Amino acid sequence: MAKWGMVIDLDKCTGCQACTTACSMENNTLPGESWQDVLFYHEGEYPSAQMKWLPRPCMQCENPSCVHVCPTRATYKDPDAGGIVFVDWNKCIGCKYCMIACPYGVRFYADEKPLIEPDIREAYPSDNGQLWSPPYQNPEEDWQRGIGIQPPGVVSKCTFCYHKVKHAPEGVVDLDEDNPEVKEYVPACVRTCAPKARYFGDLDNPESQVNLLIGDRHGVRLKDHTGNRPQVYYLGAGASVPAFTPADREHDA
Amino acid sequence: MNISMKDMQTRTQANVLQGPLGWGLLVAAGVVLLASLAFALIQLMTSGHTSFNTSSTLPWGQPIATYLYFALASSGLGLIASLPLVFGFKQYYPVAKRCIFLAFIVLISGMAVLALELGNVFRMLWAIPLNLQVQSAMFWMGVFYALDLLFLLWKFSKLQGGEWDSKTAKQVGIASFIGVLLASGNLALIFGMMSMRPFWFDALLPIYFYFTGVTSGVAALVFFTYLAHGFQRERMPPALQALLTGALPKLFAALIGGTLLFIAVRAITGLYSNNPEINLVWTGYLFASPLYNASLLLGLVLPFVVMLSASLRNRAGVQVLVACLVFLGLFAERFYFVVGGQVVPLFHGTWQPGLISYTPSATEWSLTFVGISLCFVLYLLGEKFLNLGDMPRHMAEAPAGAQANTA
Ligand code: SF4
Ligand code: SF4
Repeated sequence: MAKWGMVIDLDKCTGCQACTTACSMENNTLPGESWQDVLFYHEGEYPSAQMKWLPRPCMQCENPSCVHVCPTRATYKDPDAGGIVFVDWNKCIGCKYCMIACPYGVRFYADEKPLIEPDIREAYPSDNGQLWSPPYQNPEEDWQRGIGIQPPGVVSKCTFCYHKVKHAPEGVVDLDEDNPEVKEYVPACVRTCAPKARYFGDLDNPESQVNLLIGDRHGVRLKDHTGNRPQVYYLGAGASVPAFTPADREHDA
Repeated sequence: MNISMKDMQTRTQANVLQGPLGWGLLVAAGVVLLASLAFALIQLMTSGHTSFNTSSTLPWGQPIATYLYFALASSGLGLIASLPLVFGFKQYYPVAKRCIFLAFIVLISGMAVLALELGNVFRMLWAIPLNLQVQSAMFWMGVFYALDLLFLLWKFSKLQGGEWDSKTAKQVGIASFIGVLLASGNLALIFGMMSMRPFWFDALLPIYFYFTGVTSGVAALVFFTYLAHGFQRERMPPALQALLTGALPKLFAALIGGTLLFIAVRAITGLYSNNPEINLVWTGYLFASPLYNASLLLGLVLPFVVMLSASLRNRAGVQVLVACLVFLGLFAERFYFVVGGQVVPLFHGTWQPGLISYTPSATEWSLTFVGISLCFVLYLLGEKFLNLGDMPRHMAEAPAGAQANTA
């Protein structure tokens, strides 16, 4: 089985948020609960200030702390699904320990105060155990893998669009949207990325495009000190997370 | 037989909670419990967790802090009960039974609050045992606290049957002591092992939790013991009076001092650290909050200073006041500990320029009140029906003077 990995080239990324939008539509996430988000930072001061941005999906860590802490095995890493980390919505008790343990802040407990008003859950109230029921819903649903619209009281997160990826023919190394044979199986954020800043493929195959890029362009993983070893790599200048400095402290920092 | 009957009677009269006052308080606590529980349940059923002020960036709020407070106070009470039952500090016998009972009900109350905080409570009952995720500290928390409850119950039933010193009572006592250490130490590791949450990441957290847990346990014990006797020490049996003017206040003073020391070293290393996820929590959140500073000064520093004076610390009124202050002070400590680990945005540079702000919602407060009032209801029932002031007969019958000597 492949080990699915993603490479995000920050030299190409324009921070346009097309990936964020595509992900929300593909996965019917609540507005604001973005499984894939682009985070913006700035560092330094005018005239030498720098604007930085960082697209951030779930890193599908090789050594995921969210899995280690989950008391019910609701969160699990599935080697047969390319090492993607899933949340089984039938098992999650909503203790939120995984959210505490994930260093990347990519998990959502959507049963919370609406991030964006008005609360869309009131416009489309649930009628079938889901947290909300919008008129258009992705027909793919698999609660054991946290795919679909989440029910109340559980945690959700990016699944690398497993409902698409799983249809890829056995043995495919690169899921490249330029290849008509496989483009339907490419994760939504990768497929939609206009400047083609994202790549998706098999990290276990040395010939895969993702591995070649990681080797040639010094791919880095974020917050490597936590030992989580993401399956998402970043290329280009500024592939890091700046230390947090609150706005009103920037001057004395 | 005659003597013990008489003995029972004197104690029955001595304990005001067994009379009409107890009923009155029980009704009052019951009303608060029903009201807060009803409010919480209605909120949870109509708007779910949207009635909490927690969020995906700050998932653990006041209900978790409340649970933590109760669980650790229970462990503290369990450890104090081990003083006479395991380690032979005889002067603590007069509070042993009350301690164990309190440990049991405080833990039950904490668990009730935690249950109401979870997204899917009942699923827990099968999902945790069936999946045996032994890597998870939270799995072990369930195991150890369940064992703790079991041993407390067992130990209580031994004392209830008048077995203070038998071999099995001792063995159960030792098992219970170990259970308490495992449970609360493991609870500390739930936070202490999170390298991605540097404010909590601390190998010595179990020691900090033991220490502060015992401090809150003593606060609860002092308060409830006085409550049982209408806040009048003269109504207490001599052996209990001797304890409350002898070993216990000294222990209480030392515990508050130790707690302060722990907070001080955490604060000093935290302020010294360059890591914003530690030092900003101290400067930008804890010490920037008037409420935190007030709770530290009034809830721990002031009680410590007062308890340093031998004449003050032996006064009944002072002890009750200090117990209440320490109760509030440590509750605040737990709250700021739990929230403090999360206020620095983890990975959200985006439009999150400041620390994440959080104030508990009405529903979250109602859960805290559920915990407190449940504790009172169970405690008052215990005082009524279980003779919590019981002690080994030779102590109960000894004159006051002899007690002072054993103390
Ligand atoms: S990024 Fe977070 S949620 Fe995703 S696998 Fe890693 S630890 Fe788990
Ligand atoms: S919230 Fe759900 S997935 Fe997360 S640790 Fe708890 S049970 Fe596991």
